[in-house]
Amino acid sequence: MTKYIIRRLLQAIPVIFLISIVCFVLMLMAPGGPQAQFNQNRFIKPEQVDLWLQHWCLVRNPSPPDMIKEYAGWLGVWNCQTQSFISENGGLNFLPSFLGGGVNGMLHGDWGISIYLNQPVLDIILGRLPVTLLLMVTAWIIWLTLALILGVVAAIRRYSFFDQAATLFSYTFYSLPTFWLGLMLIEIFAVTLHWFPSQLIQSPRISPGPFASAVWWQAFWTDPGLYGWDVAMHLVLPVTTLVAVSVAGDSRFVRSAMLESLNQDYVRTARAKGLSERRVIFRHAFRNALLPIITNGALEVAFLFSGAIVTETIFSLQGMGYLYIQGLQAHDYFLLMGIVFIGAILVVVFNLVADVLYAVADPRIRYD
Amino acid sequence: MFKPESADSLPIPASAATPSLIDGPELPVDVEVALESLNQWQLAVKRFMRHRMALIGLAMFCFIVLVAIIGPIVAPYNPIDIPGAIHQGGDGPSFTHPMGTDDAGRDVYTMVVNGAHISLAVGFFATVIAGIIGIIVGSISGAAGGVVDNLLMRLVDVTFAVPLLFLILVAAVFFGQGSMVALILIFGILQWGLIARLVRAQFLSLREADFVEAARAVGVGTMRITFRHILPNALGPVIVVMTLLMASNIVLEAFVSFLNFGIAATEPTWGNALSNAQNAMGDGNWWWAFFPGMAIALTVISINFVGDGLHDALDPRARL
Amino acid sequence: MSTVIDLSHVAEAAPGRSIGQKPPDDVLLDVRGLKTYFHVLDGTVPAVDGVDFQIKRGETLGLVGESGCGKSVTSLTIMRLIDIPPGEIAAGEIWFDGVDILSLSPSEMRDIRGSEMSMIFQEPMTSLNPVFTVGYQIAEAVKAHRNVSKNSARDRAIEMLAAVGIPSPERRFKQYPHELSGGMRQRVMIAMALSCDPKLIIADEPTTALDVTIQAQILELMKSIQERTGTALLLITHDLAVVAETVERIAVMYAGRIVEAGTAEEVLLDPKHPYTQGLIASIPSTVPRGQRLNVIKGTVPNPFRMPTGCRFEPRCPHAFGPCKDFDPPLRLTGPNRESACWLQYPPGELPVKETDAPPATPVPVERVGH
Repeated sequence: MTKYIIRRLLQAIPVIFLISIVCFVLMLMAPGGPQAQFNQNRFIKPEQVDLWLQHWCLVRNPSPPDMIKEYAGWLGVWNCQTQSFISENGGLNFLPSFLGGGVNGMLHGDWGISIYLNQPVLDIILGRLPVTLLLMVTAWIIWLTLALILGVVAAIRRYSFFDQAATLFSYTFYSLPTFWLGLMLIEIFAVTLHWFPSQLIQSPRISPGPFASAVWWQAFWTDPGLYGWDVAMHLVLPVTTLVAVSVAGDSRFVRSAMLESLNQDYVRTARAKGLSERRVIFRHAFRNALLPIITNGALEVAFLFSGAIVTETIFSLQGMGYLYIQGLQAHDYFLLMGIVFIGAILVVVFNLVADVLYAVADPRIRYD
Repeated sequence: MFKPESADSLPIPASAATPSLIDGPELPVDVEVALESLNQWQLAVKRFMRHRMALIGLAMFCFIVLVAIIGPIVAPYNPIDIPGAIHQGGDGPSFTHPMGTDDAGRDVYTMVVNGAHISLAVGFFATVIAGIIGIIVGSISGAAGGVVDNLLMRLVDVTFAVPLLFLILVAAVFFGQGSMVALILIFGILQWGLIARLVRAQFLSLREADFVEAARAVGVGTMRITFRHILPNALGPVIVVMTLLMASNIVLEAFVSFLNFGIAATEPTWGNALSNAQNAMGDGNWWWAFFPGMAIALTVISINFVGDGLHDALDPRARL
Repeated sequence: MSTVIDLSHVAEAAPGRSIGQKPPDDVLLDVRGLKTYFHVLDGTVPAVDGVDFQIKRGETLGLVGESGCGKSVTSLTIMRLIDIPPGEIAAGEIWFDGVDILSLSPSEMRDIRGSEMSMIFQEPMTSLNPVFTVGYQIAEAVKAHRNVSKNSARDRAIEMLAAVGIPSPERRFKQYPHELSGGMRQRVMIAMALSCDPKLIIADEPTTALDVTIQAQILELMKSIQERTGTALLLITHDLAVVAETVERIAVMYAGRIVEAGTAEEVLLDPKHPYTQGLIASIPSTVPRGQRLNVIKGTVPNPFRMPTGCRFEPRCPHAFGPCKDFDPPLRLTGPNRESACWLQYPPGELPVKETDAPPATPVPVERVGH
């Protein structure tokens, strides 16, 4: 198993590498080049643009070799200061700095500086990560639980009133655009009813500092009830938005996995043995239905990540998704690359988690 | 030993099941295939017609298409008209403005009706592009196998390596420039991977199917097997997935436009209407966001219903 | 002749089997007039449409018929494993060990299932749960019916694995189904079925999915176990060769009905019903070399359009006068020998169709609208 995991992680490296190239080149290839965003602004002089480009190691209207250089610089193979593969320390740039390599680029743990916020990308991302994680994990837990309950009950009571109601519910919510649902929830529960806040992760009035920062934790421990409750209230609408659409699709998935399993011969065998219906359903059928559900649940973390973009934008939650939109608006290459990189790692890790969990749950699967 | 027959579903005795293989008149293979595929599609139509939700969905969808085509002609105002009063928050639904007006005095009903064709066009053409590329790549990958297959599938893996929304947004921001055609191309080019994977999987499983083995056994060539026997049978699930992809593309277009990364804000699209509405959220003017959103939701629901009916009709085995 | 049909021969065909009456003590299973229908999208399928047969204690009965004739549905109905809906047990009684099990509550039925009567299925590949060890699955059956500790259930499971001829049962106990061959899995199924000393074992095509060499082994095993333990066996198969070697009595099923029953020798050597005759004539070994195999012409009737008369009439080479309009009931043609064919009736007892009256059948086929 360990060998398998290592092999899978090694296989993932070229894929992550490729996706980062695709993303970087996609941004650089944009018509007009990196300076295009200043075209509209007549107060910016060409010299200023040149300085700006130089500062970020970018080139006006980059040619393919320029793009490769810029990408290599982001990666840490190329050194922008020396304009070569040799670092200031005299060695090949991609080597660790104590072997004479450079300090720039992903290979050296340097994710670059955000053009828009002028801070190290990694610091920004780490600062925004807690909000996104909190949103995703909360939504994920609620959504899996609900989907399991709804799906299993609908499968057992197939064609019953409950099943039909669940079907109608899932069709409706599955078809609702997430962002529009968010807007409507804000309109109803925040604007009209004033039940829940519609913006941010905590009330500015009582906020001691950015969510999950050291200052925030300090304040949190002095009064967990106050700050915890505040965050919880702010999470209600975003989590509902994220959960409603996902539960709709997933409860159908659980239902069909469960029905599939209930139709199997071994379920009939279990009944023929005279086992109780509860045991037949939960021990024999559900145990097998879990296999596809596990895979699906792990794979949907990626989907959840895109869902976070949508909800964070609607509810102005200062997480990674919101950051991504801000980065897009500012054409912030390095920030966007950082977030895409995190996204790619997330996908790789959870694909692997799905496979490993599947192997744990299914004795037929062996990775050797 | 007497074994009447093995297939439970065909209550035909052994004598009737295999007449032509022993001494019966030789039927040209094509005749049989043509007859069979005709029956298959007829059956699919029959099953679809029996699916009540699918029929409702189809009726709704036809209505929406109709609105998209003739709606702008019969609508009382043009999208550029300013029939309402210009004031903060706009006016709520009234007799003259059934869906209200926005703060610039524009009629929301006019926006919804005029946005329909853009949403449908983006959804449809983007899906067609993704479908064409996906079917071609998937067929090549599934039929060729080996190195070609491996390379193509790694390429597909790359598009699945990050949540697709991330790439789509990057492409829309850096390449879209507010153009509808660009948006269609971006959606299509970035989403074919899903369909290619599906087509390839279909190819791999159909390659081992009994009727393909049978065709091979009577000496049908590889090209013929690919295009006459495998591809038509692989299309069923592909059509279903393309239907669902079209629904999701309509939402995607709305979201991208909503973020102001999509179609130019001057165009009356559903996403742009929502984008304008968001700026005014909190003033209690719910109609402004509600109706364009409902338009999206109804379109998507109708397409999903049709997709569900197609799923049951084209893939009866998967019916639960 | 009148259209009022004398039904006395029906009673004659089933002595002491009037509806609602408990069968004699030596009869373990008595199925009477059983009808199992399935309500599907296109209408109602009468999968089992009036089946009668008996099994005495310790007796072996082979239920023979083509796929789709309703023999598997009969066995699942006896186990009460039919999904309701879409299934429906429309009529009939199933007396098992002195009780009409159709009148039992689901929980009372559960106590019988797997303990008093147990079942072996056709597909050993899919009938075992892939995510549990085979030992667990046998021990589970023991624990469900016997108030025993986990350890003694385990011991019993290992004992049963040894009893069905599985080498090194302690090791096999811990293995998963996918680690066993098809024959081994079917042995596990048999061990599971035997684990609570049932009075009746229903084996539904137990060897169909296996290799020919394994088939013989499994049949041999079932026969020896049956002889050793004295349980009754209902063996369901489409394969006449299987029943010829294994069972004492045979009942032949066609289109949801029993058409012929008797001892194995009687039925195989002196078939009375044209369908049975056709089945036997189509066995390759009964036909001289070089000659073409006999086949039964035509196809099994469409379940939605059953013939109003004898169901075999459209395919029957001997069809005559009453066959098209009247459905022949089972008739006793010898001790324990029954046949449902107008050929077995004396000419005076044959019904005649009155031209201006609607055709009446002795046993009307109930049509359930949908």
